[in-house]
Amino acid sequence: MRYETVIGLEVHVELATESKIFCSCSAKFGAEQNDNVCPACCGMPGMLPVLNKRVVDLGMTAGMMLNCHINRVTTFDKKSYYYPDLPASYQTTQWFAPICVNGTVDIKTSNGEKKVRIKQIHMEEDAGKLVHDDWTDTSLVDFNRTSVPLIEIVSQPDLSGAEEVVAYLERLRDLLRFARVSDCRWEQGSMRCDVNLSVRPEGSNVLGVRTEMKNMNSISAITRAIDYETARHIDAIENGIGKLVQETRRWDDVKGKSYPMRNKETAGDYRYFPDPNVMPVVIDDEWYDRIRKSLPDFPEVKKAHYMEEFGLSEYDADQLTQSRAFCDVFEDAYAECSMAKEAANWLISDCASILNKKQQTFDMLSISGKALGQLIKLVKEDKVSRGNAKRILAVMFEQDIDPEEYAKANGFIVNNDMGALEAIVKEVVASDTKSVTDYKNGKEKALMALFGKCMKQLKGNCNPQVLREMLIKVIDNS
Amino acid sequence: MNKESLIQLEKLNKILLSEEEREEMLCFFEKQSENVSGLDAIPTQDVERMVHVMPMTNVIRDDVAIKQFTRDQLQEDAPESYDGYWQVPRLVE
Repeated sequence: MRYETVIGLEVHVELATESKIFCSCSAKFGAEQNDNVCPACCGMPGMLPVLNKRVVDLGMTAGMMLNCHINRVTTFDKKSYYYPDLPASYQTTQWFAPICVNGTVDIKTSNGEKKVRIKQIHMEEDAGKLVHDDWTDTSLVDFNRTSVPLIEIVSQPDLSGAEEVVAYLERLRDLLRFARVSDCRWEQGSMRCDVNLSVRPEGSNVLGVRTEMKNMNSISAITRAIDYETARHIDAIENGIGKLVQETRRWDDVKGKSYPMRNKETAGDYRYFPDPNVMPVVIDDEWYDRIRKSLPDFPEVKKAHYMEEFGLSEYDADQLTQSRAFCDVFEDAYAECSMAKEAANWLISDCASILNKKQQTFDMLSISGKALGQLIKLVKEDKVSRGNAKRILAVMFEQDIDPEEYAKANGFIVNNDMGALEAIVKEVVASDTKSVTDYKNGKEKALMALFGKCMKQLKGNCNPQVLREMLIKVIDNS
Repeated sequence: MNKESLIQLEKLNKILLSEEEREEMLCFFEKQSENVSGLDAIPTQDVERMVHVMPMTNVIRDDVAIKQFTRDQLQEDAPESYDGYWQVPRLVE
């Protein structure tokens, strides 16, 4: 018998805010344990939550990017469960009136295009982190992540198989990063996924027994887990191997197996009830329109625009539209220099290389597009050599500078005095007769050695083509 | 509330009651249930549901991070702490 896998996903995404959802503690990743905490996010009695407006902005933005209906009156609820990483013993989340409902995400796979339905997106707070300490045989609690804002994106069970799941997750990540809702970094836990999976005979419309795998944090682990769990379900159905019950399971990526998890609460056990401490949020037309107007074009729309309007190749347009930051800098640079291809090259090659060295993502590009455009103009007008422009670009990653001012202050302006250039070249040629002889005997590399010496004397401030021509002229006359 | 649901509640709250305590607890829940049932006598069909005492909406703040407390201040009253962490009985699933 042939089977089909039915998968629904719950994707948790940490929102790109400065502060937590209900208190003013920093939401930044990577602080020392319990450095970003206060009585409110530690769940101490009597503390009242105050909602972060930016969280609602980003929740709405996510919903609009995923074609959702935005609930104009949205409320928060308490979800009670007991665990040491949840200091208040309840999570403030949205159950009765989530901010977004009924959306869609378009995905492409080898089987063609598909529309995946989004059931809802709700805003909620994250839990803390537990470290299990073998030395003291205790658990250690870090509340830095407690109350960091999340959205949970709940899909309908429209996905079948790992390929569709990967396409869906990558599309979600691209859209949310592009809209600056989140950095969606799996490795830092800012994107996590629960996989709800069942198997049924192909063509059947009755869902099989569903299992849930929680807190999956990489695409490769999700792919392996889906393949394993599908095979386990089919084995249980066909051969009675293993017990198939509705349960929550943990994926062990090292062993490549899933295991039943703790006695998990069901929806009733969570005792959801409206949170009287968080007042309802009413989204008026002005607020709604402000967010609607702030939405970026979808990456594929920008890509088509770059190809048609600026004449960029598909490769260049594709590279630029991987990141909203790259698009913004590219557009500002183009506005300044009107040289699309050059601006694209500087971004895709030089800026990407600097970011890689700094181990930063493309979204972390923070140089001024206008300054990049000015730098490109300086190179085009032969005022600064490309080598020195690269040095100036590196400085632009650290400081907000005017490239021309910086070039002048640091001796990076190309010397156009042909007399001075000829004098330096003659001096180098006279001092290295061996290279001159080698070049005259056909060794092209010897010319490069002389070229390098001249460039060193000139501190890079020379048009390479002009220098080469001058060098050949001086050698020929020597 | 019956014995089965009480045991489920124990599991969720990670506690284990003795048989005696279970009996005691079931009596307690029975009484509470009777008390709550008393509310059924009150006619509420025309009363609008109230969740929030104050008729307020959009109690929100700008997204600005402010450090107001140090870790040491917050852990001053912690029953156990270790290396900047709150320390609790080991809990591994």
